[in-house]
Amino acid sequence: MSADDSSLARCPHCGENAAPRARFCENCGTPLGTTAATSPSEVTLELAPTVVDPDPATGDSSARRSCGACGGTIAPDGYCADCGTPGQSERDHFEERPADWVAGVCDRGVRHARNEDAMALAAGSTFAALVVCDGVSSAPDSDVASLAASRAARDVLVAYGPEGSSSVEGATSRRIAGWTDAMVAASRAAGQAVRGAAEQLAATKGTNVTDDPPSCTFVAAVVDNGLIVAGWLGDSRVYWLPDSGQAEQLSVDDSWAQEMIAAGVPRAQAETSPQAHAITRWLGPDAPDTDARCAATVPAGPGWLLVCSDGLWNYCSDAHEMSDLVQRFATSGDPHTTAAALVRWANAQGGRDNITAALARVSPAATEQR
Amino acid sequence: MAEFSAEVFQNEFLSDGATDVHAVVSVTCTGAGSTADAGAQPGAAGVAEIVAVDTSGSMQGRNMDAAKHAAAVAVDQIPDGTLFAIIGGSHVATRIFPYPNARVPMVAMEPGARTEAKRAISTMAAGGGTAISSWLRLADDLFATVPVAQKHLILLTDGKNESEPTMHLDRMIADVTGHFQCDARGVGDRWVVEELRKISTALLGTVDLIARPEDIAEDFAALVRKSMARGVASVDLRVWAPQGSEVLFVKQVAPEVDDLTGRRTQVNALTSAYPTGAWADETREYHVAVRVPAKPVGSEQLAARVQVAVGDEVTASGLVKAKWSDDSTLTARISPEVAHYTGQAELASAIQEGLAAKASGDEATATVKLGRAVQLAAETGNDEATSRLRKIVEVENEEEGTVRLKRNTAKLDEMALDTASTKTTRVRRA
Repeated sequence: MSADDSSLARCPHCGENAAPRARFCENCGTPLGTTAATSPSEVTLELAPTVVDPDPATGDSSARRSCGACGGTIAPDGYCADCGTPGQSERDHFEERPADWVAGVCDRGVRHARNEDAMALAAGSTFAALVVCDGVSSAPDSDVASLAASRAARDVLVAYGPEGSSSVEGATSRRIAGWTDAMVAASRAAGQAVRGAAEQLAATKGTNVTDDPPSCTFVAAVVDNGLIVAGWLGDSRVYWLPDSGQAEQLSVDDSWAQEMIAAGVPRAQAETSPQAHAITRWLGPDAPDTDARCAATVPAGPGWLLVCSDGLWNYCSDAHEMSDLVQRFATSGDPHTTAAALVRWANAQGGRDNITAALARVSPAATEQR
Repeated sequence: MAEFSAEVFQNEFLSDGATDVHAVVSVTCTGAGSTADAGAQPGAAGVAEIVAVDTSGSMQGRNMDAAKHAAAVAVDQIPDGTLFAIIGGSHVATRIFPYPNARVPMVAMEPGARTEAKRAISTMAAGGGTAISSWLRLADDLFATVPVAQKHLILLTDGKNESEPTMHLDRMIADVTGHFQCDARGVGDRWVVEELRKISTALLGTVDLIARPEDIAEDFAALVRKSMARGVASVDLRVWAPQGSEVLFVKQVAPEVDDLTGRRTQVNALTSAYPTGAWADETREYHVAVRVPAKPVGSEQLAARVQVAVGDEVTASGLVKAKWSDDSTLTARISPEVAHYTGQAELASAIQEGLAAKASGDEATATVKLGRAVQLAAETGNDEATSRLRKIVEVENEEEGTVRLKRNTAKLDEMALDTASTKTTRVRRA
């Protein structure tokens, strides 16, 4: 937000005049617009050295791809030289590892023809932003929408990070407020990115943007110096899985199943019903609002922060079971191998949906620095 | 420079739990050139040709005269520079030319050699029994002395291999397999199709019947021309199949049915090679079947890489795929190519089994098998097989394959049906 733009210094919800640089309306609590949300393209990406399908030896990403199924080499004809599994396109399977404590894997799964999940990660020494968007497969081009959304949101979160243009600073309570604000800005930017992508696609195809527009879920988590803030629309999730203590799902699904659970239907029954995956909030041209709901936690000890799509949690919804699952694969303590193992596991369960698993290893060392 | 291309025909969709992947791979060679291009220097030419003519007592008369004439015609067709020899075969094998006392086992063709070879051929006389293993042994010995890539034998007989136990011939065939190629021809109706087929199949050649002695010369000339047109010496079909899979069979299905499965050699842990001999400008088609472990619906899997290897160099490759689907409109389709050649291969065995049953007096089996053959020939549009079958059986209902065996059929008609049984028609492509 630019300081001299008086129109943005007024709450869009109740009309209350906002204090300079305020991120929330003092009257009604509505988050106020931000610079990053209105012009995400100005954000620099110094903190986001992403790696796609890296070869550890050469850094070469395309010359010698390895097989996702058996670890063999993908031959020039596009199939594994050992097991014959098709090599995946970079959109179908990509991995990011912006820091040694933050990594994620985004995979097409088995049953779906395209990978409509998307993921965008950024990390520094004490800061990380993990964004996952799950394209709604009933709408065409949701793979384009979800990728645009996740990247736009990540870029906004980076701008609020320690090296960004509008860093969130101060005591924990102030930072919770700041990051909640940032999360809403990020989800709005993501929503705009989906609309932008939808309009561009409609123009290219000569169709109307309101006909079956692409849409996606949104989930993001920020780790900032001992604080974790989650934001979401839809049913992609954030889990906090401490090494000791209570595992918890930070996000609350915006879904029909969740509404049933809130109404008293047992979780297992609600989540397996035919309508379980009908989501009640999403990003897209037809979305009623694009403000993320947020939750924050201050971890007492080390643990894993997991941001994932339903392609993973469908097979392991409960936070305690998810904790056990992650612990099982996290023997090396490396988020990259652990995320890859989680994706392989979900594929082994049937891979009925696209699968994204992004992990941050939140340790006392990382939380106590700075 | 020869170029190979491979095209795959298949329905890659498998139903849930299915494991067997079938494909027809069409391999085409262009620009093969001729063997004359392989080496211009006499003696260093890329090809060696031997003609082995039956000189057993049964050949006496018209057959011997026709065979001598045919050998002379073959000598005319062999181009200058090609290494050659003529063998006369009875219960023993004799080198007719170069003369038995010559110091070189094979000579390069040139006008003088051609004249002298014809003179040698004219001195051949019929007498003795028939032991074909000795002819193969001599051919192998002669071929072994020349360092050329491509070696071709034309073998002509009119009788049964009666002067030795079958085991001798079988062992000799095994010994010389891979050393040279052999086209075998039978003249008249006293030779045994199965014997010559055994030889020609193992030695990557053809078997055929020459009904009338006067037709031998034309056939020999065609065989020599065909041999000389094969400008690519030694071609392997390679089949890569993924870890945990099993190659069920590899069959040549056009222009003739020839099961290659038993000729497999291992290239590496996942790749096997099947020799296909020398190639001219031509198209051959192969039916490859691979069994892979079933994968979940939605998965894709490469089931085979079918490659053409000249020497150690892979010059063409076709991909056989498997995609599991729960859409039965996709999985229920059978590739027309696979269906056609499956039918043609079954046609070949139905004819052979039917004739064998008929010969052994099992008329019930013969009627069923030949009836099935009539049905398959009609279904796959093999008109040649249909007309040959109609000389042996009375067709009651072509669609249902009901037939009656004809009485007093000509032996030659049965042999013609038998030798031609492996010849396939190409699938009609839209």
